[in-house]
Amino acid sequence: MRRNITLNINRRVETLTIDDADTLLEVLNERLKLWSVRESCGVGVCGSCTVLVDGQPVSSCLLLAVRAAGEITTLEGLDMGSSLHAIQQAFVEERALQCAYCTPGFVLTVKAFLEQNQNPSDHDIREYLAGNLCRCAGYPDILRAVRSAQAKINSRQQ
Amino acid sequence: MLARHGDDARPLGGGTTLVILMKQRALYYPYLVDLQTIPGLAEIKIESDGVRIGALATHRQIECSPVIEASFPALADAFGQIGNVRIRQTASVGGNLAHADYRLDPPPALLVLGAEVSLFGTQGARTVPLGLFFRGLYETVLEPAELLVDIKVPFMPENSRAVYLRYNTLSANDWPCLGVAAFLTEANGRCRELRVALGGLASTPVLVGGLDFVKDQTLDAAVIDRLLDIVDQQIAPFADLRGSEWYKRRMARLFVKKAVEQLSDTR
Repeated sequence: MRRNITLNINRRVETLTIDDADTLLEVLNERLKLWSVRESCGVGVCGSCTVLVDGQPVSSCLLLAVRAAGEITTLEGLDMGSSLHAIQQAFVEERALQCAYCTPGFVLTVKAFLEQNQNPSDHDIREYLAGNLCRCAGYPDILRAVRSAQAKINSRQQ
Repeated sequence: MLARHGDDARPLGGGTTLVILMKQRALYYPYLVDLQTIPGLAEIKIESDGVRIGALATHRQIECSPVIEASFPALADAFGQIGNVRIRQTASVGGNLAHADYRLDPPPALLVLGAEVSLFGTQGARTVPLGLFFRGLYETVLEPAELLVDIKVPFMPENSRAVYLRYNTLSANDWPCLGVAAFLTEANGRCRELRVALGGLASTPVLVGGLDFVKDQTLDAAVIDRLLDIVDQQIAPFADLRGSEWYKRRMARLFVKKAVEQLSDTR
C-alpha cells in the first residue's frame, strides 16, 4: 500500500509517499539520495547501512520506512560545513579506512558509542563495534581512530 | 485484524527476523500488524514478586536496564550477547521468543529463572510457564491471532545466583553453538536448589529435570559428575553449522560444568 510519511532526517523534515514494503535504506538511497548509507549484507549483520535513530544505531536495511519514528541521522547529518566532524577527522588521521565502504557506518556507531561511554576500555570499544564489519581489515587503525576521536571530543568539552 | 485475516496477517514486533524473511521471499504476508503502535507494550515494570517485561521491550532495553541488572544480572548478560548492538536496539523480547528459533539465548536464561509468559488472543488471556511455551522448531503454543503480551520473571530467593554462558564456534555476532544457564540457591553453605537449562542443541530449549539429588549436598566433583550424566541423558543434540552431535554433547558437559563451578565459586 502507498502511504505518506514524514521523516525527521538530519534536522530536516521530509514528507514522502512510499510503499509499505520500502525499507528506510531504500528510501534514504533512492528517494533522498543519501548515498553514505550503504547496502551490503541486507540482513543486519555488517553495519554498512547504520543510521542513528534518536542517537542509537540501527540497521536501516531492516527498518521499514513507515516505522521510522524519531530523529534520524546519517553521515550527511554530521556535516559541519567546511570542516569534518571530530570522528571523521580521527578516521582520516589514523588512516582508518581503505575502500571506505564501511566507514559511514563505523563513524555513526562510534558517535553513538562515545556519547554513551566517555571513558571506554579497549574491550568496550571492540564489543560495541563488533557488529560493524570492515573487509579491508583495518580494525587496529579503527580502534586507534576511536581513541583519537575520544581525545578530540573530550578536549573540546573541557 | 489478525483474527480477520488469518494466515494472511502476521504481527510485527521489532522486525529483525520477519523483515529479513520477507525480503528474502521466504515468507509473504499481505498484512503486517504493527505492534509498536499499541501503547505500553514495551515497559519493564517492577511488581511485588518479580519483574514484568513487555513483549515489545528491545533486547538493548533489557541489557541496559538498571532494574534487570540489579535483580537478574544473568539475564542482562544473556540479552547483551545477542547479535550486534543494532539488532539489540531493534529486536523485541516477545518477538524473539515467539519466533522460537532453537538457537536463541534468552530461553535458557529465562527458564532457570522460572519465567512465565502472558498470552492474549481471541479466546482471552492465559499464562504459560516458559517451559511449556516451546513446542518444536519455530513452533510455540501460540494460537492463531494470539499474542505474547509480556514475560514475568519472579525475583530470585535469597542466596541465589544465576549465570548464562554462550559458546560461539563461528564469529562473535553469530548464533551460538550452545547456550547454558544455571541457577543455584544455597542455604548454610550447601545446595538448596540447582536448575540448569540449555539452548541451541535441539528444536526446543531443555530445562534439565531430576536435579533434586543436589539438595543439601556441596557441589563437589562427584555431584557435578552425576549432574553432567543427567544432563547428557536429557539432551538430544542435532548437528548444525556450529557443531556436530558428538561435539555438542562434549561442549554441553564442559559448559554446564563451567557454569555450575562459576556459581559455586562466586560465593
